[in-house]
Amino acid sequence: MDLDFLWTTFVRLIGGVPLTLQLAFSSIVLGLALAVLLAVMMRSWFTPLAWAADGFVFVFRGTPLLVQVFLIYYGLGQFRPVLDDMGIWWFFRSPYYCALLALTLNTAAYGAEIVRGGLQSVPHGQIEAARAFGMSGFTLYRRIVAPIALRQALPAYGNEIILMIKATSLCSTITLMEVTGLAHRIISETFRSFEVFFVAGAIYLAINFAMSRLIGLAEARIAPDLDQASRPAEVH
Amino acid sequence: MKNGSRPAVAVEGLTKRFGPLEVLKGITLEAHDGEVLAILGSSGSGKSTLLRCINMLEVPDGGTVAIAGEPILLKEKRGGGREPADGAQLDRLRQKLGMVFQSFNLWSHLTVLENVTEAPVHVQKRPKAEATEEALVLLDKVGLSDKRNHYPSQISGGQAQRAAIARALAMRPQLMLFDEPTSSLDPELVGDVLRVIRTLAEEGRTMMLVTHEMAFAREVASRVIFLHQGRVEEEGPPAQVFGAPKSERCRQFISSQLRS
Repeated sequence: MDLDFLWTTFVRLIGGVPLTLQLAFSSIVLGLALAVLLAVMMRSWFTPLAWAADGFVFVFRGTPLLVQVFLIYYGLGQFRPVLDDMGIWWFFRSPYYCALLALTLNTAAYGAEIVRGGLQSVPHGQIEAARAFGMSGFTLYRRIVAPIALRQALPAYGNEIILMIKATSLCSTITLMEVTGLAHRIISETFRSFEVFFVAGAIYLAINFAMSRLIGLAEARIAPDLDQASRPAEVH
Repeated sequence: MKNGSRPAVAVEGLTKRFGPLEVLKGITLEAHDGEVLAILGSSGSGKSTLLRCINMLEVPDGGTVAIAGEPILLKEKRGGGREPADGAQLDRLRQKLGMVFQSFNLWSHLTVLENVTEAPVHVQKRPKAEATEEALVLLDKVGLSDKRNHYPSQISGGQAQRAAIARALAMRPQLMLFDEPTSSLDPELVGDVLRVIRTLAEEGRTMMLVTHEMAFAREVASRVIFLHQGRVEEEGPPAQVFGAPKSERCRQFISSQLRS
């Protein structure tokens, strides 16, 4: 085994980690905001809003992320004159922004379903108890509904975060030099695809290992009673 | 006004229907300060619905509810029925009512202590230190001091119901509403909860208690109301309702309940 080559490959691929993380976290944060909005729309009494949200989820969950990335980056390029007139061509010209948009819309669709499920899982009796004590409106959401929904939704949402970190590798197809993009470049120089992809995979594995530990810590903090490791006596 | 003071709660001509089912057919009653009102009746008689109408968890179709002399404002809803007209008023009046539910309904994301301080701090805006101090006293009173840092999923049903009683007391309510507080408990856990409720009755708290515990109602109630098919069928002091009911239905119900 050529340890020197593995090491130099590792060092070069680490250079792509900041872009991978940037794509993942930006899209997760923006996507979560959009997901909450979509989940609220789904529960709206005004049916056109609910339909719009359902349609969004239907489209973005039912088509491959790679197709979405291509459609936004290559597909919209066909309408350059129109986008130029609208003054937004600078956005769609950039592979970074196109990738970010595709990732955001995609994770928003999955996130909306997770948030909706979390909100639905809040027991009616606990909301009723809050109302019976004179709590209503935003306070009721902030103090009771949102925290209980979060407890329910966090495990599923943690899974979505992991999926998104892996999904950033698709951005290499539109010239972004994140970890997978760099791996392709190194292979084109060295033709040693096994070692290079092996190291790239190990880097994703390390990121996701750290991420799943963080999610686990968050779960233990938000729902200490549901966490097997924490005993009641230790809860203070 | 009776007794020279306004009643803690006054219900007049209350009606409620769920679809084709008329659950309450015109209920009128009052509870005065210091009274313990036991509401009895077979299942489906409307007794839980009556209690839930008092704090508008169910909005009655007709009639009025007044808390400490102040009628809860209602307005007609488009497409039938009514809804609270003034959310701020309802929230304010609800703070005078301490509700205890059949299924406890403790907030699952908060510890027992946090459950008790939640509404005093975030609804009544009382200082957290003060609310915590008071909560600890209340938890001691219901015998749950050692469980204060447990979550609802980590305690028994009897403990959960006692925590729920402490949570309601923490609002310093003028009236306590108990909706079948022991109906979902294992028999061996009922005693502890009833003991706590009896203590509250002895302290002279105003309470309305929907229950199936006949012997308990007879012992703690100052007045008993027997509901049948959405109407007040019999009303009076426990000695009269249990000893010499005027209504044949009430007599049948009481003998069947006491026998079992």
